[in-house]
Amino acid sequence: MQMPMHAAFRTIAVMAAMLMAAAAHGAPDAASAQLLKSTSDHSKFKVLQQDFQSGPEVTKACLSCHTEAARQLQLTQHWKWEFLNPDGRRLGKKNVINNFCTSVASNYAYCTTCHIGYGWKDDQFDFTAQENVDCLICHDTTGNYRKPSGFAGNVVTRDTEFPPGSGKVVKALKLRPIAQEVAKTSRDNCGACHFFGGGGDGVKHGDLDSSLASPDKALDVHMDATGNNFACATCHMTEGHQVPGSRYAPTAVDKGGAHLRGKERTGNPTTCQSCHGQAPHKANLAKLNDHTDKVACQTCHIPAYARGGIATKMAWDWSTAGRMGPDGKPLVKTDAKGRVIYTAAKGHFVLAENVVPEYAWFNGKVTYTLLGDRIEKSDQPTRINHFEGSASDGKSTIWPVKVFRGKQAYDPVNQTLAVLHMAGNDDTAFWTNFNWEKAVAAGMASVGAPFSGQVDFVSTESMWPITHMVAPAQSALKCRDCHASDGRLEKVSGIYIPGRGSDHATWLDGIGWALAALALFGALAHGSGRIFVSRRRT
Amino acid sequence: MTKTVSPACAVSLCLLGVALHAIGAHAADGDWKRGRVYYQKVCTDCHGAKAGGAIAPNSRSIKDWTAYLSADRHARGKDALKKYVSREYRASIKGVNKAAEKYADVPDEQLFNDIRSFMLKGAKDGDSPASCT
Repeated sequence: MQMPMHAAFRTIAVMAAMLMAAAAHGAPDAASAQLLKSTSDHSKFKVLQQDFQSGPEVTKACLSCHTEAARQLQLTQHWKWEFLNPDGRRLGKKNVINNFCTSVASNYAYCTTCHIGYGWKDDQFDFTAQENVDCLICHDTTGNYRKPSGFAGNVVTRDTEFPPGSGKVVKALKLRPIAQEVAKTSRDNCGACHFFGGGGDGVKHGDLDSSLASPDKALDVHMDATGNNFACATCHMTEGHQVPGSRYAPTAVDKGGAHLRGKERTGNPTTCQSCHGQAPHKANLAKLNDHTDKVACQTCHIPAYARGGIATKMAWDWSTAGRMGPDGKPLVKTDAKGRVIYTAAKGHFVLAENVVPEYAWFNGKVTYTLLGDRIEKSDQPTRINHFEGSASDGKSTIWPVKVFRGKQAYDPVNQTLAVLHMAGNDDTAFWTNFNWEKAVAAGMASVGAPFSGQVDFVSTESMWPITHMVAPAQSALKCRDCHASDGRLEKVSGIYIPGRGSDHATWLDGIGWALAALALFGALAHGSGRIFVSRRRT
Repeated sequence: MTKTVSPACAVSLCLLGVALHAIGAHAADGDWKRGRVYYQKVCTDCHGAKAGGAIAPNSRSIKDWTAYLSADRHARGKDALKKYVSREYRASIKGVNKAAEKYADVPDEQLFNDIRSFMLKGAKDGDSPASCT
């Protein structure tokens, strides 16, 4: 029996539809198991079944159900990039100058790649527009969502040549499948920005890099992908889109107990104590509990940072930037491992892995050097930020820190740090023309700050708390790591640490050894006497 | 002239179409995060220690990986790739490998699909090129 071609294809179509429906109904367990974790399958929502042409279009669709989400988010530091310090000074990415890529101002289109919004290209950004909130950067589960640098936090939905005239094409992103797969946040979401702070993988923090996307237990006991598998939000317990645990509002000492479910707790949920309490060590290690009033948990339990195979930057010298190679092109140098240690755009770097932290008293207060603060070039580096604290204030514990050392541009006449216009397709951007005077003039003008026209370089330091990459208990510091003449806490002042070199007193040791020798002599003499007497009697 | 197709041919074409759809959907449905963990903690661990070094997903193209996975030839054809994803293999190493232990009960095909998702996604021309870390 034969049938006409069109009838045959109709038969094929109907059968295919029936079989596909049956196949979908009996879909593999992976998909169904994943769906069971959520009460919603976003791919079934009509509003998400469209070909979105921009990020804000997706946000409008999200807000049609999650009506208050944008309003919540617009109250957060993630949105404002601003933080009011207890000392009254305005901090946050929008205001501070650091010693990495220095400042957001005049570089918006590049820095705001990591803003939780769309379109922050200059100081006219509308912080009240709800559709400017980027839902996908935190809720994507496909791992395919990305916002390329230079697009002011926008996504690219059509293949785009960038920079214009370069011949390089940024591939378009399909937003529909991403919008249909949204879910709660994971390490990959937070890591998309926080692993890459400072302009690259692991650059800034040292204890946050892409190795934490899927770490093993040795790297982090909490995030171990084959064990506890904590998401960032497991500790940074978020409510109303407010994410606790910012380094702008640190908790250096937590005297509260472990948080019990159902019991109200207003403290910072990201501290170790909020889960482990004040006496976390078992009876056989109870002596360690005597340390917790003076030593932060991280000090012993994070013996080193940058342990995941990704180097962190330890120093950055901007003063050498701008060198050209023999071919007249911007110079690039790499080390024996192929890691970049010099670029004309950024100067020299020092990279390191498995870094032993420095240690400092910290009471939770951090002071900053901001734009306009008077600084002086001297033998001592300018402190971009500094952890306050001492042994005697009763509020401090000893913390592990990464101290990042740099040399960066400043105005030697006005004696202020400089805002640098680094990125942009214009004549004043340093990465375009390698001219410091033009770059600083444009940067300072963008914030209305005075500039003398002269540029010099000053040594700077910034401090970063080490709180991630918590090692397994067996890899924690041992007594001798601190209680020894060459111990880790050698430079920590104001406290007596038995066995430490700087607490060593030769005269006291002499007395101790003399007493020990005397005791030994006494015991031997007494024993000998006994033996002598007993022999005489027999 | 009216072209005709036999019903048997129509059904065959139909089944072929469904099969291709199922393969495609299957790959897309893989849990790439689980695939990543297995790839890094089992494949990479072993390659790093015993097989001359790790092989990053971004060292090959989607086409290369697709061909490699379809061929199911491991160690230049000495054995099958699927052997190293099988429950039996996972059971044999779960005492010393936490990923194998964690995913001990995941059906073979499902886990293979997860790994495939990660590798294609992490290929050098994939949606999210991935190194070994």
